[in-house]
Amino acid sequence: MNHLTSETFHENARAALADVQLRGALRNATSLFGERRLSAARSLKNWEELRSQARSIKDKVLLNLNVYIEEFVRQAETRGARIHWARDGREANEIVCRLAKERNARVVVKSKSMTTEEIHLNDSLQDEGIQVIETDLGEYIIQLAGEVPSHIIVPAIHKTKKQIAELFTSELGIEPTDDVAKLTSTARTILRDKFAVADVGVSGVNFGIAETGTICILENEGNIRLTTSLPAMHIAVMGIEKVLPRFGDLDVFLKLLPRSGTGQRLTTYQSLITGTKRRPSDEGPEELHIILLDNGRSRMLAHPVTRQSLACIRCGACLNACPVYQQIGGHAYGSVYPGPIGAVITPQLVVFEKTSQLPYASSLCGACREVCPVKIDIPQLLLHLRTEISQGGGRLDVSKLKRSRFESTAFTLWATIMSSPSLYNASTKLGRLVQRFIVNKGQIRQLSKISAWLFPALKAWTNGRDLRPLDPTSFRSHWRGELSRNVDESKRN
Amino acid sequence: MNQSEINEEARQEILNSIRSHLATSVPYDQIYTKTDSGIHAAPFDDGDSEVAGCGESLVNTFSENLEVVDGHCLIVSDDESAADAVNEIISSLGETALGPHRTALSDAPIVQRISGKLRKVEYVSPADGVSDLFTCDVGITSAQTAIAETGTLVLDASRERHRLASLLPPVHIAIINESQICLTLAEALAGIQARGEISPTVTFITGPSRTADIELTLAIGVHGPQKLYVIVIKGM
Repeated sequence: MNHLTSETFHENARAALADVQLRGALRNATSLFGERRLSAARSLKNWEELRSQARSIKDKVLLNLNVYIEEFVRQAETRGARIHWARDGREANEIVCRLAKERNARVVVKSKSMTTEEIHLNDSLQDEGIQVIETDLGEYIIQLAGEVPSHIIVPAIHKTKKQIAELFTSELGIEPTDDVAKLTSTARTILRDKFAVADVGVSGVNFGIAETGTICILENEGNIRLTTSLPAMHIAVMGIEKVLPRFGDLDVFLKLLPRSGTGQRLTTYQSLITGTKRRPSDEGPEELHIILLDNGRSRMLAHPVTRQSLACIRCGACLNACPVYQQIGGHAYGSVYPGPIGAVITPQLVVFEKTSQLPYASSLCGACREVCPVKIDIPQLLLHLRTEISQGGGRLDVSKLKRSRFESTAFTLWATIMSSPSLYNASTKLGRLVQRFIVNKGQIRQLSKISAWLFPALKAWTNGRDLRPLDPTSFRSHWRGELSRNVDESKRN
Repeated sequence: MNQSEINEEARQEILNSIRSHLATSVPYDQIYTKTDSGIHAAPFDDGDSEVAGCGESLVNTFSENLEVVDGHCLIVSDDESAADAVNEIISSLGETALGPHRTALSDAPIVQRISGKLRKVEYVSPADGVSDLFTCDVGITSAQTAIAETGTLVLDASRERHRLASLLPPVHIAIINESQICLTLAEALAGIQARGEISPTVTFITGPSRTADIELTLAIGVHGPQKLYVIVIKGM
């Protein structure tokens, strides 16, 4: 399967825009979650203070990440957890496969985790001949269909219940039905059997607490509880940025995450797992393994702008708020992390040159920044990444990027004109002269045709746009004429 | 290199990478870093303004918020009436094909106390093994704390064998005392820590299992219980 298709973002987006069913589903989902988030946020008097507090905690962690991560490791190990360090996805996958093989595992059950999606763990396990079952209902549907998630919170948002019913009929052999409750209970019954025989459970981590070595995982369905309770081995894959200093910090983040994600006050279940069971007769796995994954994260610490990306708690609020995501959905982004946060995380995590279209997949309207529970300035990040792409330098290896000579020349020219009053005057005069020949019914139309022979590089921008012509007289001449006199008079009055 | 050497090498490399990248960012952060004091400040006044029943008793607030998330709250006066309530819930489930309702019990004292007063049930103890629990109709547990503002139960594995009894059966009944209810999430978190060594597993439960993964249509009871009843014994 081709995992990363960000290179063809424009084609992906165009295909998504032509998909009427997809756009209807996206409209429903994004508006519903948007409304729920808003009313959930309003139910707290101090929402804004909570956001600031959460961000301060994240900033503190990130500026001292080595200290907190080492404290987390110390505390978790003291309580029986085994810690593994993975520099990249390949290393993390190798560790999971090795641990599973040590237990002679034939069946691995998985709960939804963006981090394991990021490293494509399922492929690695399957290559080793181990059956891996996604147990979150949405992820299970996606796995049956051989697709990838299109939303962080609702992975199968792009599928209708009719499509899901057809999938269940062909893959699981059930009677055709469009009853959601029946589809759900079918999945429950089939997955129960898998849970009963699974040797290993793999989960992600929402928060790791440095003070106690606790991992905290949120969910609504109960599959995470099953994944972390039934199999003899629990493997948790955790990005290094997921650490919080204190146990009490959960108060802030448990208020923000469910409200931002689904508009719930709390998700149905929170599992707080601190090491392994103390007595052999206790319920729960015998072994707990925590894999700490870097995979490009530590590099983001180098600059305060990029570092913000690591504050993300994966709530999905920015997806729902984004006018671009609302139209094209998750698949068009061509990576595991879609939407505004995906457009900034993906280029930093993955090969930059293959994802350089993503930072441009935004109108910079700022809706993502407004809703982000940890106040990540995503537009600032997008601009930062665009700068890096256009300068072809900076922190990331962008030597392989195609840089636009035209773009840098055009902006240099623009800057020169805009900073000189006489050049500016001359250029607007020239503009007025030229536009006489191309203004049609008060608008400059068919810009794309004009730019096609004049500035081919502008085509992408001019394709969908008409321009208003310049006013026949400039502000300056207005000012020299009546305007300044009026102002003087009004001052005297 | 053996596995532990590779692990140690990866550890060193990741920590070095964190340190070196943070070091290059220091000049930028002179204006950016704030003083840390107060960011983990004790929970401030953060009660939900829209929480039902604020100002009334904790038990009413808990009950109302549990109903919001599709759980059911029953308030009773003593063990006897708690047992009656459980009997009523179980009889409302109807007859199963196999006869008596298979009921998983946790080892909490209050659960053990009322278990003798139940009718038409066959007991399954968590010690009987996992496969027996898979076939249970009802799970009965207590909880160590309940959070009024969210309608949440907090179950601590070091004090009660709750994990599977509260998860596998389609019906979960929890019996708690009124005195176990606190108002806020922050209080509950502080309570978990105040007991000293932290429990290996603490589970927060807010309503029955749910999903909206198919066309955003709410379905109750996907992997966990479909029904959640909380019986609160008053004034103990």
